This record gives sequence, C-alpha cells and structure tokens, in this order.
Amino acid sequence: MIVEGSVLPIPRANIDTDQIIPAHYLTRIDADGMGEHLFEGMPDGVHLMALHPGASIIVTGENFGCGSSREHAAWALLGRGFKAVIAPSFARIFHENAYNNGVVPVILPQETVDELMGARSIAIDVAGETLRADSGAPIPFALDPLRKQFVLGGGFLKYLNSKIADVRAWEAAR
Amino acid sequence: MRKQVRRSLFDKVWDAHVVEELPGGNALVFMDLVVAHEITTPPGAIAIEKEFGDKLYEPDRIVAMIDHVAPAKDAATALQAQTVRTWAKRQGIRFHDIGNNGICHVLVPERGYVSPGMTVCCGDSHTCTLGALGAFALGIGTTAQAGAMLAGCLILQRPKVMRIEITGELPPDATAKDLTLSVIATIGFRGGTGYVLEYTGSAVRALNMEQRMTLCNMAIEAGATTGIIASDATTAAYLAATPGAPTNWTALQADDDAEYAATVTIDGNAIRPVVSWGTNPGECSPVDGIVPFDAPAESLAYMDLQPGQALRSIAIDQAFIGSCTNSRIGDLRAAAAVLQGQQVSVPTIITPGSQAVRRQAEKEGLHDIFQDAGALWTHSSCGPCLGMSMGVLAAGTRCVSSSNRNFPGRMGDGGRVHLAAPAVVAASAILGRIASPAEIQAREVVLA
Repeated sequence: MIVEGSVLPIPRANIDTDQIIPAHYLTRIDADGMGEHLFEGMPDGVHLMALHPGASIIVTGENFGCGSSREHAAWALLGRGFKAVIAPSFARIFHENAYNNGVVPVILPQETVDELMGARSIAIDVAGETLRADSGAPIPFALDPLRKQFVLGGGFLKYLNSKIADVRAWEAAR
Repeated sequence: MRKQVRRSLFDKVWDAHVVEELPGGNALVFMDLVVAHEITTPPGAIAIEKEFGDKLYEPDRIVAMIDHVAPAKDAATALQAQTVRTWAKRQGIRFHDIGNNGICHVLVPERGYVSPGMTVCCGDSHTCTLGALGAFALGIGTTAQAGAMLAGCLILQRPKVMRIEITGELPPDATAKDLTLSVIATIGFRGGTGYVLEYTGSAVRALNMEQRMTLCNMAIEAGATTGIIASDATTAAYLAATPGAPTNWTALQADDDAEYAATVTIDGNAIRPVVSWGTNPGECSPVDGIVPFDAPAESLAYMDLQPGQALRSIAIDQAFIGSCTNSRIGDLRAAAAVLQGQQVSVPTIITPGSQAVRRQAEKEGLHDIFQDAGALWTHSSCGPCLGMSMGVLAAGTRCVSSSNRNFPGRMGDGGRVHLAAPAVVAASAILGRIASPAEIQAREVVLA
C-alpha cells in the first residue's frame, strides 16, 4: 500500500482537535460531512488549505491531535482526502483514532520533519515502513505492528470480535 | 532470590486487567465500565448494530447519558440524543436522560458507578477525572469505545508512570484548579504524554474527593493518558454517601519504594491562584502577576495581549462557571461566597455539573445568590466549555472560565478563554476584568 500525494505543511506544534474540527460540527450520528469543515477551528486554517489545494499528506509539529478525543478529527482528515500525517509526535487518542481509520501516523525526528515541510510530494510505503520525498532517499519509520494491520486492511472491530471468547474465559476465571 | 517488584498504584490496576499480551507491546485490557454520551457514541453503536448484530459484551457494564447538549438545541442534536436513548432502552443499559442527567464525569462518580481499582473508558478525553477514585480511567475515540462495548476490552500500550508528589499544604486561597494548572505549567503541556500521572503527597491527601477530581480532570491537558490517586478514608466516605454505595472494592496504594519512570516534586505551599493568558492550559501565571515577557508571540497574538501586561488589567466580556473541571457543589459554594451581595458586570453563566448538584445548590440557596447577583443559573450541560451550546463566545470576545481548555476557538470561533478557579471567575465577573477574590473582600472593607 503506497500513500502518495502533495504536502500541506503546518509548521507548528500542538494542533488540537478543536482546531481540526470545531465542536459545533459534532452533531451527526455518522462519520460523514466532516471534511468540508477541516481546520475551520485553526486561525489560519482556511487560508493554509487554500494555499495547498489537493494536498493529501500533512507535515506538522509535535503533539498533533491533542485535546478532545473526538474521532471526528480523523474523519475530517479522511473526508478531505488526507491519508497520512507526519509529525515528531502525536497525542495518544488521536494516534489511535488515526490507526483505526486508516490515516497513516508517521513519527519522524523533528529535523526530518522540518526537511519534509518543504517537500512537494511524498510517497509512503505503509507495509514497508519507508517514505520518499520528491526524488530523495528512502526514509525509514516505524508503525505499531498490531495497529498497522488496521491501517492496511481495516478490521479493528473484527479483530476485537475475534477475542470475545478469550475475554469471557478470562472474566470467568477472574 | 528474585527481586520483589515494587509496583505503583497504576501498575496494580493495570496488571489486574490484562487479558492478553499482544504484539508490539500492546495489551488487551479489560474494561469494567464504559461510559457513553450522545456526541461520540452513536456512530460506534450503529457500527455494532450493522456489523455484529447489535450484540454487546455486557450491557450492564455500560452507563449512558445525555450531557453535552442538554436538551437538544436543534434537529441534529435531537437525533443524537434519540439515538442513544433508543439504543440504551433496547439494550437495557442504565441511562440518564435530561432531568436526571449530568456531565458524565460529574454524574458517574456521584452515583457511585466507579470505585477504586476499576478500569473505565469513555469517548471523552476528560474521563481521566475518575482517576480521583483510584480507577484507571481514560478517554478514547468512538471506534475504541465501540470495541470496548463489543468485546469488553481496549487495545492499549502500557503507559509509563510519573509520580507527582505535592508536598506541604495548599495556601487557603489556592484551589485544586490552581494546583492542576500549576502541574501542567511545571511538566509542560505535552510533558505527560505516554504517562499516567500518579498524584501523591500531603497536599493531595488533604483534598476532598471533588477537589481530587478537579486535579485529575486536567491530566489530559498535560498529554497524559490519565491521572490516578490512591484511595483512602476520604474515598471510602465519599463512596459510602453515593446512591450506589459500592462496597466490593479494596483500597489500593502504591508499594513503598515503587519504581517510577519519572518523579516530580512540587511545593504545595507555593501554589498561588493562577489564570491562563495563552492558548494552552500550561500557559498560566499567578492572578496578581503579568503576562510573561517570554510568552510565545503566537499565543499573545491570538489572545490580543502584550508581554508584561498585568493580568488584572485584562477586561472580559463573559464569565462561565461550569464544566467537568469545576461544576460540583464545592465549586458553586466557592463562587457563591464571592458573589454573595454583589452584582456581576458582564454576562455570567453558572452551570451545575449535574441535576443532583443543581438540586443540592438550590437547597442551600446558592441559586438565589447567583441570580440576585445577576448571573444566569442554568440546568446541567457541558455548556459553552466546548463552544457547542448555552453560551458560545462571539469572535473577539473574552471569557474567564472555570473550564479546562483555552485552545483557539474552543468556546466559539475567534473567542478568547482565560482559565481559572471558580472564585477567581466570580471575582472577575463582578469587576469586569480578571480579578482576585481578595479584591472583592478588600472592596467590602472599604465600603463598610
């Protein structure tokens, strides 16, 4: 699985989920309709998006996705065509939400992220855990080996469903 | 001889809930309770209905409520509430509808649904609040919550544990809110990432249960997985007084000399009433102080503040007392003590954390004090804290708030938020600028 596209650079740390998708849009019972409001909560969000039309990979600073647990942040990214986020670190809940929704969360050192901010296009080999910016050399990264399968093939709930008998046995013996 | 492993409080709760170790350092961790509210639950409940025949692991391990937008403000939020309402009824899930509801992190402990040693999850980041009762309680996304409802478990990486000892005792004018903001300022806005914060020390033991909830509530604002506090006589007395009055729990403490990945010591005697000036909760300073000269320019640009400006010179447009951080009866009493016999000079919204808190406040006559002062006394809701209903800010306006997040746009697009304790919010509401409760007392002396 190769995720390839142009870059939306957000050269700041601590982009919280209220900035990614403001709470007043969280009024649906499904995961749809979030993409059109992506980054509306970020003071320069709409402007940044207009500067980088068609981008599908975000490169940003530390602690991306902090704050509210709203999975709507991952749904908003997907709804607007974003398939990956590259950052030095992610907030815990967003990190898991990204995996569960097939948004590839790539963690790389700050220096590497700084260099990637200027890239025109990035190609991410998810299975192989390497990426290539423009015509540069491959850059390795690491994904959680268990959660990687949810990015490649979905199936988080199916996986947990397969564990129910084990859980019931554990609980009975508790 | 094999060395005895000395375990933290968190380690003990975690170890007692691991069903299975999974690849990549993950574990399948059993959840004793799943809390479900109307904003984040419906997509997960619908996914289980469509893909797995509406089968839940154990409906008795779920408690649901309407809390964020209560009552519904429009057709869309009405559908969210109705989806949770019909789902809970169909599944036989304990459900707290409007009238009998509350903010989940206020209602769940006050009903006695959580006790020490439990694991709890909810599609809400402030679930860490419940760590005050010695539970491992964490916020998760909608899909993870659905997994916990379907299979009784979360998949988690084992967090590290940071011991945060608060020594001494808090000064009389410093509150748990000031303490939790000071902890974030000390370890940093993302300093807790990857950790559980295990709060201990004399100043923590001296807190009552509501104050411990305020402390744990903002662990997420330091990036932490959650906070947790050992159970003691305060915990036991609190639980015994709840309607659920759980008895099948045992007190848990860390072993002496337990090993921690990190240790932080903070002098409780030095905690001052603080207020935030920036755009994350770690950006705060004593109310009597100034905007720091090294404050990030980006934060100050959004907040329209200058370095060196006295915090007490900042005029406000609105005041809010409420949210899962500071909306319990003790918070309302603290606000009432300041507002008694005074008049607010800006729109002031006071929102109790649950309908039970509201009724208790009215028994004590607090609602008369608030309304005599010109404040709006509402029913329970998450309210304007997240900019969703009941007091959303206009762009460019400034609110001093007892809530938990001062992120750009949090309480309304372009709105500016200053976080503080309820007494500071009340004093600010009276003077129309950021103010300390001592100023109101001093004014009384002069007037007398």
